Amino acid sequence: MGQRTVITTSTGLAFAALEYLAAAGLVTYVAGDSAWIPILVAGLLALLAYGFFGELNSMYPTAAAIRLYMQRAMDDRIALTITFTYMTTIVLVIASDAFIVGTALAHAFNQPAWVASLWIVGLLAVAVSCNLRGITVAGLLQDVATSVVVLATLVIAALALAHSGHALRTPWQPLHGHSPADLVEAIALGVFLYSAFEWVTTSAEEVRRPEAIQRGMLVAIGILCVVCGLATVAMSHTLDHHELTSAYPQLYLGVAAIGHAGLWVMAGVTAVTALNTFNGGFITASRFIYGTAREGALPPQLARLNSRAVPWVPVVALGVVSSVVALIVALTHGWQVLVAVGAALEAMVYGVAAFCAIRLRSRQPDTPRPFRVRLLRVLGPFAMVLFGALAVIASVSVNNHFNPAPLAIIAVGAALSAFYVVRVLPGVRTKEAARRAATPRRRPPRSEAT
Amino acid sequence: MATTEELCEAFADWRARSNGNPRLSKMVKGWDRVIHFTTTDTDQGFTMRVQDQLLSALVVGYEDQPDVIVTGTSEDLCDMFWGDLNPSEKYMSGEIALAGAQQDVMRIDAISMVAFLDQ
Repeated sequence: MGQRTVITTSTGLAFAALEYLAAAGLVTYVAGDSAWIPILVAGLLALLAYGFFGELNSMYPTAAAIRLYMQRAMDDRIALTITFTYMTTIVLVIASDAFIVGTALAHAFNQPAWVASLWIVGLLAVAVSCNLRGITVAGLLQDVATSVVVLATLVIAALALAHSGHALRTPWQPLHGHSPADLVEAIALGVFLYSAFEWVTTSAEEVRRPEAIQRGMLVAIGILCVVCGLATVAMSHTLDHHELTSAYPQLYLGVAAIGHAGLWVMAGVTAVTALNTFNGGFITASRFIYGTAREGALPPQLARLNSRAVPWVPVVALGVVSSVVALIVALTHGWQVLVAVGAALEAMVYGVAAFCAIRLRSRQPDTPRPFRVRLLRVLGPFAMVLFGALAVIASVSVNNHFNPAPLAIIAVGAALSAFYVVRVLPGVRTKEAARRAATPRRRPPRSEAT
Repeated sequence: MATTEELCEAFADWRARSNGNPRLSKMVKGWDRVIHFTTTDTDQGFTMRVQDQLLSALVVGYEDQPDVIVTGTSEDLCDMFWGDLNPSEKYMSGEIALAGAQQDVMRIDAISMVAFLDQ
């Protein structure tokens, strides 16, 4: 994997279809045209997270890095609980992308709303089937897909602004008609626009040069900042409230830019984003579950491979759970709740990464760190407090209204994870230990001479 | 530390069990690869090939461009070949490292699983 593919992978993983809805949702918190400001601030915060992930990944350049650095920085039960809770973000992103693409396609084809459910199930069935057959998006295709999404979004946003026929109204006044608390909530949502850029660290074993991962993440943050900033300003400038709060604001943006053809362009772009999300999401989550099961921390059934060496149980389970979540979202129209859950979990994980970086500096001072965060003693605690606060804010706010639903969803997920780790896992481990104890060593004992 | 002879003996056992496993044979169909093993404590290198659904004999030294590189202590690699050690556990703890495409890594893991679980 070369530098270009690392950049497109990092950007592509972050640039899910949910990005458009999160960007449109962010507009409700600040004075329209100044929506780029919270995105820029969130980008600077993402740079902090980049530093922590960069240092941790340079210490453990492996797909299992998250397990390794969390295990060494804190109690393994807490590490596992956080990791399992974090994994739910992947399910949410897969589910929301299926929902958004399905809804966008149903709208583009002028089909009734219930047809979107068929698209959702169909898309996820195709994704599961491709994964089970071991079909993955090759590096070159990933490069092309991400480039198409980024460039098309940039061009459509620029054309929409140019065709609007009037100047920006409040580009420098985010607080115009809003409170500072709204701006903070917008920044919390803005963090979500960058979320998953760090998933590229799971490709550490595939890169030709280890430092490519850190550089790739840095460039990806820059790209995301520019594209999301421009798209958000264009949306706020050209779309009305109904269009902004719909499930497919990007389609309206396409229409604002180049008329009806823009609807099809953006429907196509939305479908391409799913390619990246389904590919990256299914592989990352299923391989992590597989690895954890092989390690003995999940039931062994989750480590079963099919004839193409694909862990089929996690892939099917992810497909089923994602379908159920996507259909619930389609029925309840609660996609902004998903955005808030994702934003809160992502901020939480950025805070955890800061904690791990600090803790490992003292616990493992001699472990080589080809990449080091400067001023970690200052930036680390600052990031922990800041991301912690953003996580709390994001978890109790939906569409600029107090709503504890995201917090409740996260709490349920964390409680289930903790229950598994504290009550079920010891049994799983005892069973595995008994199996190993009953299996005699095959290696012949060494003779005295050796 | 395991000697070269011990590693080769362990690998021969692993190879016999892997090549005699019809499920694994199917899993490596069309997967012709060169795998390098590197020991961190004895600084030794070994080469294994997978060709036509069969594992080759272990060659001492590096040959050809590798698709996957497996790195670990000689003891861990020896125990892995004998099937006495859970390679995933060692991988997840960072004691065994792999470099290569994810699909290739999964296949290597599948082969090592045959030895560990004797499936």
